[in-house]
Amino acid sequence: MSIINKLASFENDIDFPKLWKRGAVVSVLLVVLSLGAIFGLTLNLGIDFEGGSAWEVPAPGVTVADARDVLRPLGEENAKIQIVGDDTLRVQAETVDDVQRNEITDALAELAGVERAEVSVSTVGPTWGEEISSKALRALIVFFVLISAYIWIRLEWKMAVGALVAVLHDLIICVGVYALFQFEVTPATVIAFLTILGYSLYDTIVVYDKVAENANRSGLAGKMTYTEMMSLSLNQVLMRSLNTTLTSIMPILAMLIVGSFILGAVTLQEFSVALLVGLISGAYSSIFVATPLVAWLKEREPEYRSIRARLEGTEARKARNDDDRNDGEGRTAKVGSGTAPTLSGRAIPARPRKQGKRR
Amino acid sequence: MRRNGLSSLLFIVVLTVVGLGLTLAAGNAPLLGLDLQGGVSVVYEPAEPVSDEALSQTIEIIRRRVDALGVAEPEIGRQGDAIVVQLPGVKDPDVALAVIGQTAELRFRPVLETVPILPDSTTTSTLEGETTTTVAGDTTTSSTTAAGSDTTETTDTTVPDEVTAESLGIELTAPEDDVADAEVILDSIEGERLRLGPTLLTGEALSTAEARLSGQTGGVWTVNMTMRGGADGIDAFNEAATACFDRTPTCPSGRLAITLDGEVQSAPTIQTPTFERDAIQISGSFTESEAKDLALVLKFGALPVELVPQQTQAVSATLGKDALDAGIISGIVGLLLVAIYMIAYYRLLGVVAMLSLALSGSLLWVVISYLGENRGLALTLAGVTGIIVSIGVAVDSNVVFYEHLKEDVSRGRTLRSSVDGSFASAFSTIVKADIASLIGAAVLWSLTVGPVRGFAFYLGLATLLDLVASYFFMRPLTVMLAKSPRFADRNRWFGLPAPPEAEPEAVPA
Repeated sequence: MSIINKLASFENDIDFPKLWKRGAVVSVLLVVLSLGAIFGLTLNLGIDFEGGSAWEVPAPGVTVADARDVLRPLGEENAKIQIVGDDTLRVQAETVDDVQRNEITDALAELAGVERAEVSVSTVGPTWGEEISSKALRALIVFFVLISAYIWIRLEWKMAVGALVAVLHDLIICVGVYALFQFEVTPATVIAFLTILGYSLYDTIVVYDKVAENANRSGLAGKMTYTEMMSLSLNQVLMRSLNTTLTSIMPILAMLIVGSFILGAVTLQEFSVALLVGLISGAYSSIFVATPLVAWLKEREPEYRSIRARLEGTEARKARNDDDRNDGEGRTAKVGSGTAPTLSGRAIPARPRKQGKRR
Repeated sequence: MRRNGLSSLLFIVVLTVVGLGLTLAAGNAPLLGLDLQGGVSVVYEPAEPVSDEALSQTIEIIRRRVDALGVAEPEIGRQGDAIVVQLPGVKDPDVALAVIGQTAELRFRPVLETVPILPDSTTTSTLEGETTTTVAGDTTTSSTTAAGSDTTETTDTTVPDEVTAESLGIELTAPEDDVADAEVILDSIEGERLRLGPTLLTGEALSTAEARLSGQTGGVWTVNMTMRGGADGIDAFNEAATACFDRTPTCPSGRLAITLDGEVQSAPTIQTPTFERDAIQISGSFTESEAKDLALVLKFGALPVELVPQQTQAVSATLGKDALDAGIISGIVGLLLVAIYMIAYYRLLGVVAMLSLALSGSLLWVVISYLGENRGLALTLAGVTGIIVSIGVAVDSNVVFYEHLKEDVSRGRTLRSSVDGSFASAFSTIVKADIASLIGAAVLWSLTVGPVRGFAFYLGLATLLDLVASYFFMRPLTVMLAKSPRFADRNRWFGLPAPPEAEPEAVPA
């Protein structure tokens, strides 16, 4: 049976704890690389953060060199010039005064052969960006505090810690990607970063909720270590995570490809790159960061320590019996040992049927 | 349960249809933001911290200036300390900026003469009786005011019949020519047109002003001004007052006009040569709101908020339309991809998911149109992105439910027996995750400015509607399908594993 079929029919049995170790290495590498890029290369901040002016005009057939030639006599040969989408010319310059700005607007209109009103101009004062950033930062901190409190109340504090670490992990990687590839950071990017937090949390909460559900299930209590239960929960929600990630990626990919590359809407492009990275990272971190962290924290609790000790004792005893006898109830699944794929959705007894249901 | 499901299904479908019908009937459509239809947007911030009252007053002043520009649907609002001005359809940001951004300076100018208003103007002849505003100097704060003097007024108004003087070519001074030391012709808010001399003093001389109900005359509203002390304050004012009182050539009419933004706010006749710093009263036939408005103008015009443009954006109509098209097309393509995937994977349930998405999308359209039409809430590109992103959130609710259902069925239960329980536990997950999204949206909305706010608003709205659609639409429809005898043994139609053989009741006889 292929893995897809197994997934679709709930017979997947991936030994997540084994993968977690590799995941930890990957995550640490990515985070270190990202931090290195952020501090080593610094972010490419757009005019909204640094102050300056930007022009956009539809200019079919105009090249970057043409634009530079036009801007040179105006003393702006160092302006950043791009062709975005098909034929939109985009020029960015540091802070210029009103007269200069008008001259550039006129020059670009002439170059593109359009009316002056067809040139979009945006100007940002030098302090505005700082303010946006500081407000976004404040929003971020408040967000973290509220979300932690919420998860703490609805689930437990260890999960709040796990979720926060996972979110930070995603955020660092996304910002790192922007630093590494020198993508321009604009307010739209900041929005996208903030959305990523939402996605990442959403995924993590779905996993945690499943874990909490399993932990309260009478059939499971005391029969599995916490780590095993997490692995089981991850197997159970894996298809949901894949499907959700896929269906979330589809509109974003459409936005990236149709919106920005074909139609040249710069804002859409700014959004979608960050969202794409964040979405993938969010799905990954809910499985490889948020979950192992909570497993590690929970295994230190006396209750789960004793379960582990007891179960390991059982394993050891069973290992001495060479014939690996099954106790006939299919309950002492050897999860985590990696020897036999006995843990599956089917290994769990069905919940008792509720009475009084229509048949 | 079944009837309950049916009624909630009916309720939500009828609500949506009625909502859509009303929206179409009223001709409501989403109000497009500047980045989607073209126009000028400016974000101002005060140069230094100011009070809420001063900021509201500033917004009022800006609104008046924008109205003077003749912009169709201006949006002027506050976001924190920032003032956001949006002018759809305006093409040249410079003109708009020049008119809006000038600092509001209050000026005191002598009235040289009253000039006729050209015949095309309709506000005309009722002026005379109204020009009774007086400055009463009450050194002893009380009786000398003689507020009764309203009637014994020095009616300077030798207003020539308004139609006679069209040939004089008397035109209003253009806003850009309204400089402090030039002679200007301005209209007063009371409907007069006045020729004014150069500015004698500015609002800097004024300390504060308030509207007051004068006691002894019973129910007469007056405005009291307090000047600053010293040469630039009361001394300058008294110099002007004396000139007017003596009707010297600088001030032949005896009236001192107070102007703000090229408009005469009041032009009282001076009745005393000198005044005490804190006992200057403007009396006249003010209503309460007129008096309060004038006091506000004096107070904040006196200490104008200096506005610094932080961000200006001029979007051409073409680029705006391109962005809108790009947003719509990528939304449709994304939606199609999701629909194909969901239906291929979940079959009938995928169809339910898409119907549910269509329903919450319709409700979203209704709400956005309503807010756009009635609250002036514009849909920006950031908002469009928020909505596209929320497609993922909405579909996820379905996925969480269906996967739960599949899990239960794969454990050997029948579809019809597991559907209710599955929804209960899946919905609890959906609510937890959606609330986390809502907290995020609320924090972003309340603590940030500009495009981030728009994005947060629409993301939050779409998330709420997702909860509604999940509970009132997806649940009952799925339950009804799952329990319908027609699909009893057709798990494949639901993209579910085949029913285990050990379930005899699932096999029809």
